[in-house]
Amino acid sequence: MSGAAGGRLIGFRIGSAGAALPLGIVREVAERPRVVRVPGSHPFVSGVALHGGVALPVYDLGRFDPLWSGRKAPAPSGRGAESGHLIVCDWGEVALGLLGDRVDLVEETESDTELGDAAGAPCGMSEVYVKRILRRDGEVIVLLDTDKLFASLGVPAAEPRGRRKLGEDDPAGG
Amino acid sequence: MKLLMVSVGEGRYAVPADAVAQIVDPAVEADFHLEDSAAVYRGERLAVLDLHAAAGERRGPAPVYLLLAGARRRVIIAVDGAEAIRDVPAGDIAPLPAFIFAWPRRAFRGVFSDGRNPRLLLDEDAIL
Repeated sequence: MSGAAGGRLIGFRIGSAGAALPLGIVREVAERPRVVRVPGSHPFVSGVALHGGVALPVYDLGRFDPLWSGRKAPAPSGRGAESGHLIVCDWGEVALGLLGDRVDLVEETESDTELGDAAGAPCGMSEVYVKRILRRDGEVIVLLDTDKLFASLGVPAAEPRGRRKLGEDDPAGG
Repeated sequence: MKLLMVSVGEGRYAVPADAVAQIVDPAVEADFHLEDSAAVYRGERLAVLDLHAAAGERRGPAPVYLLLAGARRRVIIAVDGAEAIRDVPAGDIAPLPAFIFAWPRRAFRGVFSDGRNPRLLLDEDAIL
């Protein structure tokens, strides 16, 4: 990811915290499928879902403690705790799913704040995983650093497809 | 491949039927009892793998015990119910990605669709 502004992002909610991913790594957004819990998996792995005949690992970032600097992820406001959507990402040779709510397209602009300009990451997120901070309609949206985040989740490092196709599909440099 | 469908608490799992040497119901099998963390079946002392603990489930009031036999060892697994045997094509079983596991040793190796819900397949090679 280049970090350049002007890209298209997928915005979503983790609890009440706003987050975003580069659109280029997102294969699809689907209704939350049936997820089966896998004993012995990491606590932030919700389980696996069968997706096109493949066992898709499903991650609940709200349960990934390092993302929240050791604090609890902010609870959703006025809704149930279950995330309603699954964001399916391609990451190199593997696919993974992230649970999220209120999924929407977000445009990145030049006025969005680099993390270095901000006094720490908002929403209680650890700045280690924050690439950029966006403000839309009074709400803060954190563009996640997918390289660091997925590596910390244990997802094998690989050149993501979105990155190989800089430009048309991934102007954000996914 | 033929799979034995079992329940462990709220979880629904499958065990390769070839690995199941016996289904032991203590209510009808007199020569079976538990001793500490082992089971004694017809004079043979067998290690008990606690799938309930691994799955974070409570053991039901009337478990049955699977005697699994592999090339290296025989073990006992407690389940809350042995439901059915189904023939599931190997191609319908999706392997679980290794990177989701917290430890190298893992109890499950695959997942397949069983009606509306996915069902996990026990990794008999890792256990036996």
